[in-house]
Amino acid sequence: MRRRAFLAATGGGLIALIGAGMAAWNQVPVIPKRPEPDADAAFGWIVHRDGRFVLTLPRVEMGQGIATALKQVACTELGVAWQAIALQLHDTSSPPVKATVGSESVALFAEPLAQACSSLRDALEAGRLEGPVAVSTRPLSALRAFRAGGLIGASPELAQGRDIVTGAALYAADVVRPGLLHGRVLRAPASPEVGSRASTWNRSEAEKIPGFVAVVEDCGSANGQAKGLGIVASRPAALDQIAEALAIEWTVDSLPEQADIARAIDIDTALSKGKLGNRVMDGAPEGTSFDISMRVDIPFAAHAQIEPRAAVAEWKHGRLMIWSGTQDAFYVRDALADVFGLDPGAVTVQTMRIGGAFGGKVLCRAEMEAAALAQAVGAPVKVQWTRAQEFAFGYHRPPSSHRLRLKLSGGRITDWDHQQMSSHILFTSAGLPVWMQAATDLVVGDPGVARGMRIPYWVDRARAAYDTIRLPVHSGPWRGLGAGPNGLVVESAMDEAARTAGADPLAFRLDHIRDPRLAEVLRRVGETANWQGTAAAEHNGIRTGRGIACGIYKENSYAAVVADVAVETTGHIRVTRLWCTHDCGLVINPDQVRAQCEGNLVWSIGMLLSDALQIEAGRITAENFHENPIPRLTEVPPIIVELIASDMPPSGAGETAIVAGPGAIANAIRAATGVRPARFPLQAEVFAT
Amino acid sequence: MDFVLNGEIQDIPDEWAEESLLNLLRDHFGLVGAKYGCGAGICGACTVIVDGVATRSCITLAESIEGAEVRSIEGLATGGALHPVQQAWLDLAVPQCGYCQAGQIMSAVALLNEIPSPSEADIDAAMDGNLCRCGTYGRIRAAIRHAAIQRAVGAT
Ligand code: FES
Ligand code: FES
Repeated sequence: MRRRAFLAATGGGLIALIGAGMAAWNQVPVIPKRPEPDADAAFGWIVHRDGRFVLTLPRVEMGQGIATALKQVACTELGVAWQAIALQLHDTSSPPVKATVGSESVALFAEPLAQACSSLRDALEAGRLEGPVAVSTRPLSALRAFRAGGLIGASPELAQGRDIVTGAALYAADVVRPGLLHGRVLRAPASPEVGSRASTWNRSEAEKIPGFVAVVEDCGSANGQAKGLGIVASRPAALDQIAEALAIEWTVDSLPEQADIARAIDIDTALSKGKLGNRVMDGAPEGTSFDISMRVDIPFAAHAQIEPRAAVAEWKHGRLMIWSGTQDAFYVRDALADVFGLDPGAVTVQTMRIGGAFGGKVLCRAEMEAAALAQAVGAPVKVQWTRAQEFAFGYHRPPSSHRLRLKLSGGRITDWDHQQMSSHILFTSAGLPVWMQAATDLVVGDPGVARGMRIPYWVDRARAAYDTIRLPVHSGPWRGLGAGPNGLVVESAMDEAARTAGADPLAFRLDHIRDPRLAEVLRRVGETANWQGTAAAEHNGIRTGRGIACGIYKENSYAAVVADVAVETTGHIRVTRLWCTHDCGLVINPDQVRAQCEGNLVWSIGMLLSDALQIEAGRITAENFHENPIPRLTEVPPIIVELIASDMPPSGAGETAIVAGPGAIANAIRAATGVRPARFPLQAEVFAT
Repeated sequence: MDFVLNGEIQDIPDEWAEESLLNLLRDHFGLVGAKYGCGAGICGACTVIVDGVATRSCITLAESIEGAEVRSIEGLATGGALHPVQQAWLDLAVPQCGYCQAGQIMSAVALLNEIPSPSEADIDAAMDGNLCRCGTYGRIRAAIRHAAIQRAVGAT
C-alpha cells in the first residue's frame, strides 16, 4: 500500500494532508460516476489555525460514533485536550472521500488521520506555523493513537452528545433557508421496475389549497421507471392536501415480471433447473445423499431507520447547494451534476448528521427531487419522504432462499453445500439499469450476496454458490449485506450438525475452527454465559432454551453470541437474555463498540421476529411501522457485551454481531421447541403446542 | 390563539391552525428537536409534553393546543444546566444516530414527572411506543433508572 503525507500551508494555517492510498476503493464500482480515490490525491482533514484545531470528519456520522472515535485519535496523536479540537462535517468542497459504508471508518481512516496528526504535531513542536512540510509516515507502533492508554480505550462524552440531548443537533430536514418551501414528488403505486407516470390531475382543485405553490412535471430522474409529479407548498401540511386534491390518475405500463417473489427465488426450483452460476467455495461434496438437508427462506426487509430520507436544495447563480444526510456526498454531487448538466464543482453537497442509514442512504433520491423542485420554483425546497414513500421508493435487503446439505462422519462435518438464490445488493437494482446488471451478473456476480457464505469452519469439502435475479422490488445494501442472512443460515446448519453428531454445539464448533480469534470469542462467550449446553426446559407451559453462534465479518472482526429464549404455548417467542463477545482488534472507544454490538443484537431480534416488508403483486404495500414492525423496547432483553482486549489493527464493529446474533436466537428456539426456525420472520403458530 | 411554549406565551397564527403541532414547532417556531418519523403517532420521534402528558405532536392539531402548556426538548435544560434526564442520557451515552432521542427523552421526562421511581412495568408502559431502530433500548431503560436515582438523591 502506497502512502504519502505532507503538510501544506493554506489560508495562513497549517493543514495536514494525507495520501488516499489507505482508502483505496476495494469494491468493484457499485454506482456509476462515483469518485474513485486516486492514490496520489491528497486530502486534508485536520487543520491548525490560531491555536485551535478543526477536524473535518471524512466520514458521515449516523450513529456509529465515528465522530467521537476519530476525535479520540486526533486528540491522542496531537497530544491536545478534548476541547482543543472542533469538529466539522465534510462537504464536497473537501477532497473526495469514499462512501461511509462497510464498517470501515476506524479500520481505514484512523491511521491516515493519526499520521496526519503526528506530522502536524511535529511541525508545531518545531515552531512552524506556515509553509509546506514533507513528512514520512511512521510505523504503526510509533503512533500514539494505536496504543491503548489515555483516550485510546476510553469513552469520553459523545461528540455531539450534548447537542442531541438538547435538540440542537441538525439533520437534513432541520436545515432552514430563507424562503424555504416544502416539496414532494408523487409516484404511481406500482413497482419501480415498470414504467409509470401521472396521466391526468386536477390542478385547479389543488390551487385552492392555501399554501399551494406549484405542480412540477419535470422532477429529475425517475425512481427506477417511475416518473414523478412534483408538488411544492409554502407550508408542510399543504402537501398532503394538495396530493389529495390533485386526484392523480396514474398510467402504469405493465405488470412487473417476477411478481411472485417467493417463487422467483425458490431455491429448490432453481436447483432443479441446473447449477447456480456464482461460486464462493469451490469444494466438491461427494455423493448425493446427505445427513442434513435444510431449507431456509428469508424475506425482503426495510432499513426502517427512523429518519426518512431528506434533503434541502438551493440554487444560486447557476450553482446548486444541497444539505443531505447521505452516506455518499460525492456520489450525490456527481449524480446531480450529471442530471442537471453542471460541472461537479458547481454542486456542493453538505453532509448532515444522519438519523440512521444502515446502507439505505447511498443513492441520490430525495436530493434529486429537492434539486428539481427548487429549480422549477426558483426557491429553496426541502423534501422529506413520508414514511410510506420511504418504504415504496427505497431499496431493501433482498429476500433469499437457501438449501444446505451436510454430511458427517466421525463426529465431524465432511461435506458442506450451501446454495442460495437472492437478488442484488452491491449491484443494486435501484442504481443499475437492467443491461448493466446483466453485465455484472455475468462477470462478478454480487459480492454483497456472497458475503458470509464462506464458512469459518474446517470441513473436507465445502461448496457454496448463489445466483441473483432482478425483482420488481428494488434491493440493495442493508446492514451487513449478505452476512446477516448467511450467518443465520450457516449457524443454523452448524447447530443441526452438532445435534446429528450428538455433540455440544460450542465444542462442536471449536472442533471445526482453526482461527484462534474466532475460537477465543466462542470460548469466552461460553464462559460469560456459563454455557452448559442448550438447557431446554419447560415450566408452566413456558419452554425455554439456549443457543449459541459465532462468525467472522469481512475476515477481520469476530463475534460469538449466546441467546436465551422463552416460548409460550401460543408459540409467542421472547428473547430473554443475550451475551456477546466481540473482537475487533484495538478498541478506540469500548463504550461505542458495545453500543454497536447492542444495536446489532437488536437487529438480530428483528431479523428473527419481525423484519418483513409487506409486498403484494410485486409492489410494496407497507405504509407505516404498523405494517413493517421493528423491535420495541419491551422485546429487547438484557444484553451483556464483552470486548476482547487486543492490539491487533482495529477493524469494524458496525455489522459484526449480526453474523452471530440471529443464529444464536434461532438455535435457542430450536432447543426450546424442537422446531428448526426456517421461514422468517417466525410465525407463532409454528411454535405453538 | 395563545399557548405556552417552554414557559413563554406564544401566538398560533391562523394559517398554522390546521397544521400539526410538530410542523408548528419545527417550521413556524424553528424548534427542530422534535422529529418526523412516521407522521401517524406510531414511532414517538415527535414527542413533546402537553400539559404534563407525553404527546405525539405529529397527530396533534396546532389549534387543539390553545391554552395548553407545551414543553419541547429545547425547553428542558434550565440556565445551561441539563435536565437530569438529559444528563442521564449523556452519562450512559444513550444516543446512536440520535434521531429518536428527543422523543425518547420527552417520554422519559413525562414518566418521571408522574412516577418519580418507576417500576420496570411503568417504564415498559411509558416507553414502548418510542421506537429506536439503532437499538438503544437497554440504555434508555438504564438511563431512566439512573435519572430516577439522581433525582431522588438530589431531592434529599
Ligand atoms: S412522527 Fe409522530 S409518532 Fe412518529
Ligand atoms: S438512536 Fe437512532 S433511532 Fe434511536
